[in-house]
Amino acid sequence: MRASLIKIAAVGAFLISSPNAQEAEAPDEASGLAAWAKIYEIFSDERCASCHVADGRPMWSGEHYGGTYKHPMYVGGSPELLLGHPGLMCTTCHMAENAQKLHGPPGAEVWHLPPAEMAWWGKSSTEICEQVKDPTRNGGRTLAELQSHVAEDPLVAWGWAPGPGRKPAPYSAKETADFLVAWSASGAPCPPAD
Amino acid sequence: MQLTINGKNHEVDVDPETPLLWVLRDEVGLTGTKFGCGIAMCGACTVHVNGQPRRSCSLPVKLVDGDITTIEGIGTPDAMNAVQEAWVENQVAQCGFCQSGQIMTAAALLSMNPEPSDDDIDRAMSGNICRCGTYPRIRAAVHAAAAKMRGA
Repeated sequence: MRASLIKIAAVGAFLISSPNAQEAEAPDEASGLAAWAKIYEIFSDERCASCHVADGRPMWSGEHYGGTYKHPMYVGGSPELLLGHPGLMCTTCHMAENAQKLHGPPGAEVWHLPPAEMAWWGKSSTEICEQVKDPTRNGGRTLAELQSHVAEDPLVAWGWAPGPGRKPAPYSAKETADFLVAWSASGAPCPPAD
Repeated sequence: MQLTINGKNHEVDVDPETPLLWVLRDEVGLTGTKFGCGIAMCGACTVHVNGQPRRSCSLPVKLVDGDITTIEGIGTPDAMNAVQEAWVENQVAQCGFCQSGQIMTAAALLSMNPEPSDDDIDRAMSGNICRCGTYPRIRAAVHAAAAKMRGA
């Protein structure tokens, strides 16, 4: 045990004194922006952004719909009602797992909308980037909590397992969490507004 | 598999992936709940699970997590539920195929909101399609049922 501690201390001292390590510790904006570009590719993908909407009306999008539409059946319109309306809750149709028919309801545990302040639909890379760093617009999360939310939340995980015939979000939950780690370690830079 | 349907226990021997609708209709013999689209788009198959409306055509029986109520369970021709009475009094049904689903959604709405506005009714009922277009009568009947239930 003691030998291990000495070894760790020695490695630590080497890292602290290493010029490369010092460079690595400094925020590296270019690699941070590269990680963010991948995160934006994921967050703005229709599989994620279709439910991150401002007006409480999720989108139906994907090739199998032949276009992009607001969810029919007069769903939504009350952004504060994230679980649906009395008499027509999200879970009236959306079950704990995906329907096995293409136009049947997709499903995951506790199907619901994110709050309106987390809306991503139609927003730019800069806007979403500033938003996900802002605890008032990201569910009160630190960047570390954001990483675990992406890596572990079952409804987020649905984006990569959306059921038969639906194109999943790019990359994977694990890769997305890794991109968030890399972005955070580089100071979480955001691209300049166009 | 044990299911509680309209207050009675039923033992059914089915594939767990079987939609609840077919268990109700083919195994238990409750044919008031209808098959419409088979993909939760039309609402004809609506039943309650723990008092909440669910689309039984798409709900695998393995995912049923509470007591089931069907149209047969909320009232009978001799002792109708307030929603069923209002349906008759307002002569809502035309062909009638969708009405058991409509009534189940209306009953669930009124259990959560005893005095719904027109918009509350439209938002609850818009997942239940009526190809005869009886929507104005549906809305009137929901208001009438609400008044009955409030004792107004």
